[in-house]
Amino acid sequence: MKFGNSILLSALMAATALGGIAHAQDGEKQYRFVMVSHIGSNDPNMGWLTKSMEEFEKKYPNVKTEYISTNNYSVQEHVRLLEQAISTQPDGIAVPIVSSDAFEGPLRKAIEAGIPVVAFNIPDGRPEGERIPYLTYVGGDEYLTGKKLGEYALEKAEAGEIPKPTHVVCASHDSAHQGLKARCAGMKDAMEKAGAKVDELFIGAEPATARNTLQSFLQANPDTNYIFTVAGWSSPWAWGVANEMKLDPDVDDKGVTVLTVDEGPVSIEGVRAGHVLATNSQGFWLQGYAPMEWLYWNKEFGYAPQSNILTGPVIINKDNADKWAELVRGVFGDKAYDEQNTW
Amino acid sequence: MKQLVRSQGFGAIIGVVVMLVVFSLIDFSGWWTAQTITNVTQFTAILSFVAMGQALVIMTKEIDLSVGSVYGLAGVAFITLEPSFGVPGSLVIALVMAAFVGFLQALTVVKGHLPSMIVTLGGLFAVRGIIYVWTGGSVHNFSADARIHPVTRLFGGELFGVEAAIFWLVVAASLLGLVLWATPFGNRLLATGGSRESAESRGVRTDRVKICAFVLCSLLAGFAGILTLCNQPQTHVTLGENMELEAISAAVIGGCLLTGGRGSIIGAVLGALIVVSFRYELIALGAPSSWYVTFVGVVLIVAVIFNQKLARFLGHSV
Repeated sequence: MKFGNSILLSALMAATALGGIAHAQDGEKQYRFVMVSHIGSNDPNMGWLTKSMEEFEKKYPNVKTEYISTNNYSVQEHVRLLEQAISTQPDGIAVPIVSSDAFEGPLRKAIEAGIPVVAFNIPDGRPEGERIPYLTYVGGDEYLTGKKLGEYALEKAEAGEIPKPTHVVCASHDSAHQGLKARCAGMKDAMEKAGAKVDELFIGAEPATARNTLQSFLQANPDTNYIFTVAGWSSPWAWGVANEMKLDPDVDDKGVTVLTVDEGPVSIEGVRAGHVLATNSQGFWLQGYAPMEWLYWNKEFGYAPQSNILTGPVIINKDNADKWAELVRGVFGDKAYDEQNTW
Repeated sequence: MKQLVRSQGFGAIIGVVVMLVVFSLIDFSGWWTAQTITNVTQFTAILSFVAMGQALVIMTKEIDLSVGSVYGLAGVAFITLEPSFGVPGSLVIALVMAAFVGFLQALTVVKGHLPSMIVTLGGLFAVRGIIYVWTGGSVHNFSADARIHPVTRLFGGELFGVEAAIFWLVVAASLLGLVLWATPFGNRLLATGGSRESAESRGVRTDRVKICAFVLCSLLAGFAGILTLCNQPQTHVTLGENMELEAISAAVIGGCLLTGGRGSIIGAVLGALIVVSFRYELIALGAPSSWYVTFVGVVLIVAVIFNQKLARFLGHSV
C-alpha cells in the first residue's frame, strides 16, 4: 500500500511538474540548487537528469540548477565533490546516497547549516531515525527493481512462455555499488522462492573483460538459464556471449533468458527485438525534476513530504515497449536513440 | 634448446607450462574444451596486441600508461566515424589518431625530457576525457551494412576457420618478432633501453627509436580496439579501461624488465595468455571474480622475482 501511495504521489508530482502550475515572476528570490551525482557523462542516464533539470529551469527562471558528477567513480571522489558543492553554500542539494557512512558527515553538516537535502536515485537504506535526515527520497527502489523483474519472469515461466529458472546469474559492473547489489538481492529473493540458485558475478564495465568473465561463468555453470544484467548497456554483451555459446538467449520457451534494467534505447530495443524478456523504468526524468521541485517548494513554502517518493519500478515488456520507445525517442531524439541501440 | 633457455621469454614459457599443468590437474574436463580454448585464445589475442606494444616501449626503458584509453579512442573513432567515412575510411582515421597520440606523447617525453610515466598518465586521462566528451556518455552502434562490410569481416569473426583476432595476432607477432631480432631497428631498440649513453655513442638516435616504439605501441593498441569492435560492434565509454595495467602485467610476466633492454614479443603474448587464463579459470572454479585482480597481482610479483633470478642465473645484468 505504501508503494502504491508513493507511486500515486509520484504521478501527482509529475502532473504538477509537467502541467506547469507554478510560474516564476520578476523580483522573486533567486535560488541555486546543486545535484551531486554518481551518474557521469559515461552513463546515458545522465541525459534524463540534465534534460529534466533544464525543463525545471525553464519553468522556474529564478532558479539556477547545477549538475556535477564524476566519471571515474569512487565514493571518495563523490564525497569530495559533495563537500565542494556544500562549501559554495547552495540553496539545496540533491544527491544519491551511494554510501550512507561516507555521506553522513558532510550531509549532516549541510543540513545543520540550513541547506535542504533531497536524496535521489539511491536512498539511505538504514532504518528511519538512523538515516541521514534529508527531506525525502525521490527515485526508484533498487531492491524492488530486481524483485519485480524476477516476479515478472516467474509469471511468464508459469505461463510456459519462458523456461523455469534453475540458475540465475546477476551480472554486475560495479562491485561496490549499493544500488546494484540491491537489484541483485531483489532478484535473488524472487528467484530463490521459486527454487532457483542465484549467483552475483562481478563482470566489470570493460566490454571485452566483461564478456570473457561472463563466458567463463556460463561455461563453468551450464545449468545457468537466466542472466540479469544490472545495466542496460551490458545486456547485448550478455546476449552476445550466450548466443556465441549457442545457448539460445532469445525470449522463447527454451535456452537462456536475459533480463535487464533501465529505460534506455538499448534496453527497450532489446525487448522489442525479442532478445530481452523485460526491463524497467525507474522514472529517471522525474528523478531529475522532482528533487528540484521539492527543494523549491521547501525553500519557498516550507513544504516537506512525509514519505519517500517512488518513481519506479515500472516493468517494460513486449506489450508496452513500443510506447516506451516513442517516449524515449522524444527525449533523446531520433539520431541519439538510433545511435545508442547497439543490438 | 640452449637458445630457448637463454631467450627473454623463457620465464613466461615456464609460467605457461606450470599454469597448464595446474589447470589440467584441477579442472581437466573444464579447461581442455574447445569452448574454453576458443574463449581464452580470442581474448588473449586482443590483450596481446596491447601487451606487445607495451613490451616494445618497456624495452626502451619507458612505459606507456595510456594504451587502454588509446584502445578505447580508436574503437570509438572507428564506430562513430563510420557513417561519414565508411568502414575502411574510419579504420584508417582511427589508426592515424592512435598513432598521433603515441607520437605526441613520445615527442613530449623525448623533447621535454619528461618521465614517460607522467606523460602517458596524463595521456590516459586526456584521451579518456576525449572519449567521454565525444560519445556524450552514450553507447554507439555499428550500422547493419558496416557489420557485413568485407573489411569488418576481415578483422572480426572468423578467418580461414580461425578467430580473426588470433590470425592477426600470429601475423603481427611474427612480423614484430622479426623486426626485433632480425633488423637493425630491433637491435637499436634494445640498445636504447639497455644503455642509452652507450647506444648514442655508437650512433643510435635513441630519441627516434623511442618515438617509433611509442607510435608502434599506440598503433597496436588502436588496432586491438578495432579488432574488438569488428568482432562485437558495440562501443562503450569504458572500452579499454584498466587495460593498460593488464598489458603492463602481461609484458612483465612475459619477461620484460622495467630497467629496459630486455624483453620479447612471444613473452608478451604468453604473459597475456597467463593473465586471461587466470581470470577465466578462477571464475570457472567458482572463485568470486574479484579474486582475479589479487591473483594477477601475486602472479606479477612472482614473475618479476622469477624473471630477475632467471636473468641473473643466465649471466645477464639486471
